Amino acid sequence: MSLRANNIFGGRPALSFNDLPIDQSDAFTSQRSDIQLETTKYLADRTLSNNAFDVIVVGGGVAGLSTAMQLAMRGTRVLVLEREKIGNGSTGRAAGLLGQLRGTVEHTRMLMEGLKVVHRLEQEADLKIFVQTGSLRIAETPARAEEIRSLVRMGKSIDFQIDHISREEVASKLPYMKTDDLVDACYCPTDGHLQPAELVQAYMKVGRSNGVVYRSDCPVQGIALGDPGPHTVSTHDGEYQAPVLVNSTGPWSYGVAGLVGATLPTAALGNYYLTTHPDPDHPVDTMSPAIRDRHHRIYSRPENGGLIVGMYEAEPVEYNTETLPVDFDMSAMKPARDDFNVALLIHSAQQRFRWINERTPMSITTGIMTFTPDGKPFCGTMPDAAGLFHCAGFCGHGIVQSPAIGLIMSQLILDGESSFDIAAIEADRFFDLDGYSDRSEIKKRCYDMYASYYGSTEGTSGTNKN
Amino acid sequence: MRILVPCKRVPDADQRIPILSDGSEIDRSNLSYLVNPFDAIAVEEALRIREVTGDVEVIAVSVGPLECEKELRTCMAMGADRGILVDFHAPLDPWNVASALVEIVKRELPDLVLMGKQAVDDDANQTGQFLAARLGWPQATFASQIDFNGQSVQVARETDAGIETVTVQLPAVVTADLRLNEPRYASLPSIMKARKKPIETLAFEDLGVSVEPRVEVIKVEAATSNRKCVIVPSTEELIRRLRDEAKVL
Repeated sequence: MSLRANNIFGGRPALSFNDLPIDQSDAFTSQRSDIQLETTKYLADRTLSNNAFDVIVVGGGVAGLSTAMQLAMRGTRVLVLEREKIGNGSTGRAAGLLGQLRGTVEHTRMLMEGLKVVHRLEQEADLKIFVQTGSLRIAETPARAEEIRSLVRMGKSIDFQIDHISREEVASKLPYMKTDDLVDACYCPTDGHLQPAELVQAYMKVGRSNGVVYRSDCPVQGIALGDPGPHTVSTHDGEYQAPVLVNSTGPWSYGVAGLVGATLPTAALGNYYLTTHPDPDHPVDTMSPAIRDRHHRIYSRPENGGLIVGMYEAEPVEYNTETLPVDFDMSAMKPARDDFNVALLIHSAQQRFRWINERTPMSITTGIMTFTPDGKPFCGTMPDAAGLFHCAGFCGHGIVQSPAIGLIMSQLILDGESSFDIAAIEADRFFDLDGYSDRSEIKKRCYDMYASYYGSTEGTSGTNKN
Repeated sequence: MRILVPCKRVPDADQRIPILSDGSEIDRSNLSYLVNPFDAIAVEEALRIREVTGDVEVIAVSVGPLECEKELRTCMAMGADRGILVDFHAPLDPWNVASALVEIVKRELPDLVLMGKQAVDDDANQTGQFLAARLGWPQATFASQIDFNGQSVQVARETDAGIETVTVQLPAVVTADLRLNEPRYASLPSIMKARKKPIETLAFEDLGVSVEPRVEVIKVEAATSNRKCVIVPSTEELIRRLRDEAKVL
């Protein structure tokens, strides 16, 4: 695969961001999620002139919306079909942390390019999406300190802004965090978080200006792959045809693949985070850096005067989306007050933020993530279903990857190749290997991946459960 | 001192709740249940009274199917000392729940019955009042603040006309409103401890009360919303619509 220069628009854009006519009558900003949902429903209930499209995107989360937008910007006629409410699945539960530094140079570069897409989106959609708080990684053991050293080396080698910082500097940036046990830390000033609701709105605003059609409350009941195409997607509202389909259904992605008899090695696993209410005794500056504390398996960022703390626990909750009701509303998921995972989250949060305990006024958010055996998504087609492009399995990093992924998907669909190095995320990387067509084996590997996600040391083999 | 906290197992009101096609009742086949939020507030208040006062036993009691054990465990994980489950399978109206609670009160002799003002599934707001009247006890409903004074409690009540403060002599029934407190989650140690706390299961018949249904559900239907959301292109158009159509200007 040739590595062309990372031109964001793939070298031959039909439109650039600057050319987009933004229809002023649709300008809106949303402060409340119910207004947003009503508005996306308004955008979705457009009368269709016919039911043939160039691409049908199944799944209206950030992955599908970003892909639809990028395709439409290049003149493609796109339909997005969403089972429930657009942006109300994993996307709506996400904390949105944007840490560009990943395990490999290729992946880090991809996220750095994605951030540029976000900046252009902010301009065109006139929405604030990215909050640049910077991020910290902290180490309390020699193994974690070595991890940080290796990340700093890697980041510097590709001109990513990162450096070691002292314990005192960490304490001054985060006065509400325990820092006396830290042996090392690194700071990335260009990191932050993406606001999921604004990102969804921006994808839809630009997408709609380019003719994307959105249907919500429209679950896909069947898919018939034409041989040759087009393919037919059936819903309660009728049938739609397109030569290309995109499976961006997140936790439902393995079931959607199953509709055509294909196997996608993804699994649905739960995640929890708490959001503390603002407390004058424990002020949290809204621009405090995000932190990742892998030793305690937690991540954290400021939110509206309070603090979000989430966790990748060692024993995640497993879900089977094939048995959930088709209109399952992820935003209605609510743990019991004595939920073990919540208690574990609070306990872990407390190790780093001593003022947090079970009495702290807070809300608990729980949702479902899509995991894969190697922690990377599946992007592209597989030999068992030509014309079906998968775009799922973001392992809790869908928001942050979606800007670049949408671009990559549009390149794969329209050009047959991508200007990014996508070897690690190709959909068919496990296709012929042992164990990756067996559902119970897939689930086990995805589960183990989640359990070691923060537990293992990055870049070394084996797991570190301390 | 002993505080009795009646807790109801209710469907989570935030989830989508389908209705059976014959309109007889809600479709319970896929619902998730939890402790009635107002009862969780009552449990929390009982625990706070214990923290301040010291020697207080907090007992959670549920009247319903055996699945209620899960909600009683939640109350005990929050900190209640023990649980009582009065096993009954059919739906009960507030009068009959109050009848059962009268017998539990006679058995346990609490100084205070602290419960949610209403359950989020039926919004009846009657059980506490029935119970107090049947016991001949004073009642203070819609509590947004409770001050425990040994032999009495001072209660700030949220009413539509404002906050009314009353003092009731114990034993009394107090029902909790939303702003009384924010309930805790259970900590890891208290979840572990709760597994060993006892739940006593009684059959409704053993209480010596007969069920006299006073409420018959005739039909259940979904509330429909005619709310429309319209995006207007300009401020002038918005003003025109508010003045000429909505007539609020």
